[in-house]
Amino acid sequence: MRGLLIVVFVAPILAQEQAAQQPAAPATADSKPSAPAPADSKPAESPVPSNDSWLTGSIDFGYRWRTGVAGSFDAYRSIVNLGSGPKLLGAEFTLTDPKHRAFDQIHVRAYDWGDDPYSSFHLDARKTKLYEFNSDYRDIAYFNFWPSYADPLLARGIVLDEQSFDTRRRFANFTLDLLPGNWFIPYLSYDRDSGSGNGATTFVSEGNEYPVPNQLHDQTNLYRGGVRFELRRFHVTLEQGGTTFKDDESVYQSPGSTNFGNVATRVFGQTLDLSSLLANYGIRGTSVFSRGLITASAASWLDLYGQFLYSQGDSDVHYQQAATGNLYLQSQILFYSSQQYLLSAAAKLPHTTASFGAEIRPLHRIRIVESWLTDRLHSAGSAASNQLLSGVGVSLPMTALLASSIATNYNQQEIDVFFDATSKLTLRGGYRYVWGDASDAILPPAGLAGAEQGKLRRNVGLGAVTFRPSHKLSITGDAEVGSSGGAYFRTSLYDYQKVRGQARYAATASLSLSADFTVLNNHNPLPGVGYDYLAHQESLSVLWSPAGGKRWDFEGSYSRSDLRSDIGYFSPQDLAMQTSRYRDNSHSATALFNLNLPRVSRVSPKLTAGGSFFISSGSRPSSYYQPIAKLWLPLSKSLNWFTEWQYYGYGEAFYLYEGFRTHLVTTGLRLTR
Amino acid sequence: MRNIESIWLLLLISSAAAGQTTPSPYAGSEACGTCHEDISNAFAKSPHHLVDLDKKRGWQGRACEACHGPAQKHTESLSPDDIRNPAKLTAAAADQICLSCHLNQPTHIGRLQSGHAKDQVSCTACHKVHANGPAGIVARKASAINELCRSCHVNVWAQFQKPFHHRLPEGVMSCVDCHNPHGGIRAAMLQIFAADEPGCFQCHGDKRGPFTFEHAPVRFEGCGTCHEPHGSANPRMLVRQEVRLLCLECHASLPTVRVSGVLGVVPPAFHDLRSPRFQNCTVCHQKIHGSYVDRDLLR
Repeated sequence: MRGLLIVVFVAPILAQEQAAQQPAAPATADSKPSAPAPADSKPAESPVPSNDSWLTGSIDFGYRWRTGVAGSFDAYRSIVNLGSGPKLLGAEFTLTDPKHRAFDQIHVRAYDWGDDPYSSFHLDARKTKLYEFNSDYRDIAYFNFWPSYADPLLARGIVLDEQSFDTRRRFANFTLDLLPGNWFIPYLSYDRDSGSGNGATTFVSEGNEYPVPNQLHDQTNLYRGGVRFELRRFHVTLEQGGTTFKDDESVYQSPGSTNFGNVATRVFGQTLDLSSLLANYGIRGTSVFSRGLITASAASWLDLYGQFLYSQGDSDVHYQQAATGNLYLQSQILFYSSQQYLLSAAAKLPHTTASFGAEIRPLHRIRIVESWLTDRLHSAGSAASNQLLSGVGVSLPMTALLASSIATNYNQQEIDVFFDATSKLTLRGGYRYVWGDASDAILPPAGLAGAEQGKLRRNVGLGAVTFRPSHKLSITGDAEVGSSGGAYFRTSLYDYQKVRGQARYAATASLSLSADFTVLNNHNPLPGVGYDYLAHQESLSVLWSPAGGKRWDFEGSYSRSDLRSDIGYFSPQDLAMQTSRYRDNSHSATALFNLNLPRVSRVSPKLTAGGSFFISSGSRPSSYYQPIAKLWLPLSKSLNWFTEWQYYGYGEAFYLYEGFRTHLVTTGLRLTR
Repeated sequence: MRNIESIWLLLLISSAAAGQTTPSPYAGSEACGTCHEDISNAFAKSPHHLVDLDKKRGWQGRACEACHGPAQKHTESLSPDDIRNPAKLTAAAADQICLSCHLNQPTHIGRLQSGHAKDQVSCTACHKVHANGPAGIVARKASAINELCRSCHVNVWAQFQKPFHHRLPEGVMSCVDCHNPHGGIRAAMLQIFAADEPGCFQCHGDKRGPFTFEHAPVRFEGCGTCHEPHGSANPRMLVRQEVRLLCLECHASLPTVRVSGVLGVVPPAFHDLRSPRFQNCTVCHQKIHGSYVDRDLLR
């Protein structure tokens, strides 16, 4: 009893002392109070308004009309692809359970349903301290038919993109975190990515290539699960996962049909043609992966970070192909009428990545960040094939056994020192060293490719300044200057300077401006390379909202960019020296003007107008205009009527036949609760 | 016995005295809500409200002061000078307040390599600490995320106005689908897929492999070697207007280049580039991302 009394009376004293010793601010993790007694021990009551609705949100639906597309409908579908019809343009709602039974809140979002080229659905649900569930689904149409991209038959009057496709990709993601906010958080996740559709591709035979239709179907499933340990001074995440993959692409041509690519010009007295084809890619893949992450607040002046990532992907291939026609084996000047080709192949790709870093704060104004990264990827494949060529008096079996490998070991070490010169000025200086090696080989080294090795050595100096003299003005600039002793490719970064600047200024409470620019200058002086690259871009944006946008507001941006690239190469046909010159000088702008129109019979309409344009000159001069105007009429507190007009105009100076213009008008209602 | 009673009396007095001489510097969330009602109401529905309720975190009933510091003096003086406003601190100092709870979380594992951290972009530049609702702490809707990012990255957003782009302006994708704003091990804070692969494979699973015959740049320098991921004036978001030029810039057929130790330089192929047939290399070398079947990436 006495002991109890002592505890009862002494405890308040100790508690007061603890409260007095509370840090003024939780400046670092380790300065957090262990178990503070609040000034008022009664928990603060939630000031949630009691009249909150259990369901809030809005839904936009309507109808869209598309005028006829002037110009190339295929180009329109490749870039815009919006159609006519009834649409669910958007729905967002929040479901709240005031009694917090199965969930606290559920948020649902869905956009662009009704045969639009991109539709999405998102659902989040959470219950405090019990679970968080996120799901996401997207369905995106990919159409691409662009004759200027790949049409070797254009000279014969055949307009065809021999690498075109009309597919849909669907992505689904489900993530469940259990016990969020706890020190121990298990989680599970499932992702699915699939694509299917049709396209055009080529069947390549020696002496010619033949455009043929193909069917595409691939699917990747990703499963992962893990645990997170979130403790006061350190955090650990351990994750294990795996993927499955299949690709069942098939390429075909019906027997007896005529192929556009048949060659009427005689080769050694014969024409070349493909009369039937069936090829199936039977590809199956799996991978396993592991992740381990750790962060630790080792001391008030030291934070540590580290991660270890490992994955190993495998693939197995059973490819079969049967072709008939009058085909040609160039190396033996042999004509044959039938080809059967079988291939079995396998590949492995172990990939290991590790990184470690530390943030050290030795002094109040100085922070030192040191990081180290290694990334090691080694791929090995092998393929065994059997081919039988047959024809009149010909039966030629051919076998091949090939092994391939690529490997890269990438390493990077970086140190940055931050110095808070004043509360408004921070300086950063640093150094990065990047090194690695890579190899690429196919054995036996037949044909054009052999074994190659490359080295990467790069020293990079880093510098930056952040100046925020007031809340109104912020200026940031950083620069990288790199010098290399080796690079993997001719167009890789070699001796380069990269500068970036950004400024934001709030001129008044209603007007803010921001500007940024980037410059990248890369030069590779090595003999046989001689690469010169210079790109810069400047942008300016304005946000003007007088009186808080009560009457009108405006948001706009303008950007100009210029890119120049020069690199030499030998043209293969005559080994003459040529220069690949690429120029892209472009202007683009976006603007949106919102105007609250005068009130008419208790209705306050709102007009939005603006859009964007892009104009470029240089190697592929093109223009792309997307103006838009939208009228909102609030019919009641929960009902709005809207009408939107959009225009899409695209043009190319070199490929006039790929331009298009169209108008879209959408009208609909928004219901709000 | 008397001595014991004296001790009890002494303890009582000292307890009372201690209470008078060291008043708590904390005012409690209720006191804050008295004046800052709108913020308090929003905060009550924010995920951060957990701080107010959870004993283990040490800020039960005074979540406001977890970030703003002790507020008792401020409640008495009503002076903004007597309360800490993280918005007026340096980015690093403001971040330290957030990281006092959030340091040990997986989103920050790549923070050291984050361009945001290096450029003094504080957590509150993107996260609204008091906010509630579906887009509470941070934007969740793709279009809202993009709007947030483009408020600083005007240059990048301009690239999405080009005709060939990922579908961000359409609102079906967001910047964080490809970039981890908290940083990461990959350049440009790219997301990762399945532990350590480029985040591009999240959607482009058919380009992932492993291929029997790989195309080295895809593995060594990534998709950005040939594609402009934000937008391009060239079909397929290529970095050059014609495929053959893109290919020939590496496959230059220059005998001296081998000496320089650069990869991918093959001997002359003798294709006559004046023929339309050879002006787009991918017409034949169609499996340019890697082939399961053919060493020359023909099928």
